[in-house]
Amino acid sequence: MRKDLGLALLLLLLAAVQTNSVSPPGKPVLLGCRSPEKETFTCWWEPGSDGGLPTRHRLYYERERLEGVYECPDYRSAGRNSCFFDKNHTSIWVDYYLTVVASNALGNATSDTFKIDVMEIVKPHAPENVTLLVEEREDSPHLYIRWERPRNTDTKSGWVTIKYELRVKQENNKWKEYMSGTQTHFSLYSISPGSVYMVQVRCRLDHGSWSEWSNTTDVKVPNYLRNERPFWILVSIVSSIPFIAAMCILIIKRKYVKQCVLPPVPGPKIRGVDFQLLKSGRSEDVINALIVNQNFPLMVAWKDQMEEYLMVTENDNGLLPDPSSCQKRKKSLIIPAGFRLDPEIQCKESPPRQKGQEKAGVTKNEMDSFAKSKKSLPGESLSNLEPAQKPQCTSIHFVNTEATEQGPSNHENTSKPCTNSGYVDIQRHVESLREVDVKQVDYSRVKEVNANNTIILETENLPLNSSGYMDVQRREEGVSEDYSRVKEVDCMIFLQKQNASVDASCREKGNQYTDCALQKPRNPRVTGVCKVGVCTELIDSGYVDTIPASPLM
Amino acid sequence: MSQSSKSVALLLLTLVLLELSMRVGTAPICAHGQAGCHVPSLADLFDRVIQQSSRMHGISSDLHSEFEQYFFPSKNLVGKRKCHTNGILTPDDKENAQRIGREQLTEVILRLLGSWGDPLSQLYHSMSQDQNQDFNHYSSNKALEISDVVHELRDGVAKMAEKMKLLGVLGNTVGYISPESLVPSSTFSFYKQGELNSMDHHDLLYCFRRDSNKVKNYLRILKCTTLPELDC
Repeated sequence: MRKDLGLALLLLLLAAVQTNSVSPPGKPVLLGCRSPEKETFTCWWEPGSDGGLPTRHRLYYERERLEGVYECPDYRSAGRNSCFFDKNHTSIWVDYYLTVVASNALGNATSDTFKIDVMEIVKPHAPENVTLLVEEREDSPHLYIRWERPRNTDTKSGWVTIKYELRVKQENNKWKEYMSGTQTHFSLYSISPGSVYMVQVRCRLDHGSWSEWSNTTDVKVPNYLRNERPFWILVSIVSSIPFIAAMCILIIKRKYVKQCVLPPVPGPKIRGVDFQLLKSGRSEDVINALIVNQNFPLMVAWKDQMEEYLMVTENDNGLLPDPSSCQKRKKSLIIPAGFRLDPEIQCKESPPRQKGQEKAGVTKNEMDSFAKSKKSLPGESLSNLEPAQKPQCTSIHFVNTEATEQGPSNHENTSKPCTNSGYVDIQRHVESLREVDVKQVDYSRVKEVNANNTIILETENLPLNSSGYMDVQRREEGVSEDYSRVKEVDCMIFLQKQNASVDASCREKGNQYTDCALQKPRNPRVTGVCKVGVCTELIDSGYVDTIPASPLM
Repeated sequence: MSQSSKSVALLLLTLVLLELSMRVGTAPICAHGQAGCHVPSLADLFDRVIQQSSRMHGISSDLHSEFEQYFFPSKNLVGKRKCHTNGILTPDDKENAQRIGREQLTEVILRLLGSWGDPLSQLYHSMSQDQNQDFNHYSSNKALEISDVVHELRDGVAKMAEKMKLLGVLGNTVGYISPESLVPSSTFSFYKQGELNSMDHHDLLYCFRRDSNKVKNYLRILKCTTLPELDC
């Protein structure tokens, strides 16, 4: 029974307590204090549970070197649960002992004692009015940052010394920090145009705590390309001036420049031939052209030249040499002065083509050998030179013109109607040529010596003038019939004899005037390959000008 | 024999004379402000002195915080502390500091500095001799450094006061303050006779930190009231 009673009482009490839920207040906790300028300070506390009743908190403090317990002078200025100590109540370099007491109807609660020295709790506000300015100087922009010291701080009297620190972030990069010392401005160089920069500043007093970072201030650096453009325009103009000047000079002196850069190529000239007339194509003009130079100091001019000559064979089959053989030619034989060559070409009685060719080849070899030896062979030895090549048609051959004394021997070929051969190399030595007397003459110029196909020009005895060469125009004067015409030159030049006495083997191909060919393409009338000067192609005249007009190359 | 002794004597005499002449030559050259010798201006002296006081305070703060972390990790140690310099009246806020005037301010500074010379060397000796504690052994160098800095600073402030008197900005009431007159000898026994222990070290460091802060602040105020155009 008693137990039951006690239990019931207990339950009642509990119920009463629960419905009421009042209690003495919980113990408050002092959170901390802060002095923004070392002249005042504020403290905050955290109240405990209020126990369901209206609870009041008070702050009491004691101070070193000051007797007594004092209460907080200002509970309001700094907000709830705070205590603000103004200048009059603030002393530096002395210890404060703070306690907070929470009280309600049921009781009190006292916090732990909190000791502070104002010297140690200094933490300023953030700097104010942070402004950013983009400055251009000498085409490189930089960022000028300035701010103001936090309010109420007294630097004028030297009471506090503020040191600043700032940090800069470029778009999405990381923060970069810079120390600014005691200055309230800062310049940031090497910024990139077109990006956005964000800046924050903070400070601290002497050796106290750092303040919070100021609000972010940002600025966008404008693009400076357009400023650079005038500069580049100027640079390009200035650099183009010498170029333009050079061009002007070149234009003014274009003739001179043209002479330097493109020296005139000596045009092909056939001495004794008027080019333009030949070109015109009319026969009388051609004749006139050819007659132009009557007095032809040709020999004089050729004195120093080496000649290439062409050995001409006549093929009775009249076939053109096949291309392959033509390819081979390229050889030119140069016969130095004083050298006599007595090539003998095989006649054509019936030489098959190959035979002729091979003979020609042999001959060619002979010629080579002759070329190598620098001796002049006497005329008699000419015949020695021909090994078994004596054709039935005597081929004459003569040689080199230079030896005047041997002139007479040169003629020998001329009597042979058959062309098989002989050709004459006309040597260029002027003096020899000059000396060659009229009689001598009959030689023709060899244009080219072809390894396989040799072209031999055979000339007739012609009364020549002092110049000593056979000039076609002479012929025109009705000189003699014994001249041959070059019929066709492909790899070979075929001479055609007009003379009736000509051997039947000589073939007539047609008239063709060949001059030295300058790489003419193959066609029926194509000329040979001699390398001399310009070729004129004249269809009808069918004359071979044995004298290359231009110096051999 | 007499000749040789005579020559020896002559030689010795020459050597002595040379040495004397050289000694004479080692006298300080800038004593009287000759031409070509840079005599520091008052602004230079102020800068130098403020730099040193800042350095002094920095080292003392570091040493104190290290001490606290090592020995007394719990914060907010409650204990009424007494410093031996409490006897020196010092202005404890800005207005008071500005109110007392330059001469008194200078005197206070000199007093403070003078009163710390011996305790600091005592601290250094005590710390360096303490074999048990690694901290003491490691940090005794800082104590020595502080001791040296305090001495230099005191001399510097004295010179500066002289200069100020010369320039007329400081009245003549500030006389040379000798260390002995500043602090009674009983101060040394203020803490303890004989060996100082860690608690004493801690108290000393705490007190010195505070006083170095005072000196730094007072010097700054002195500078800005004397030469307001420089960094004030």
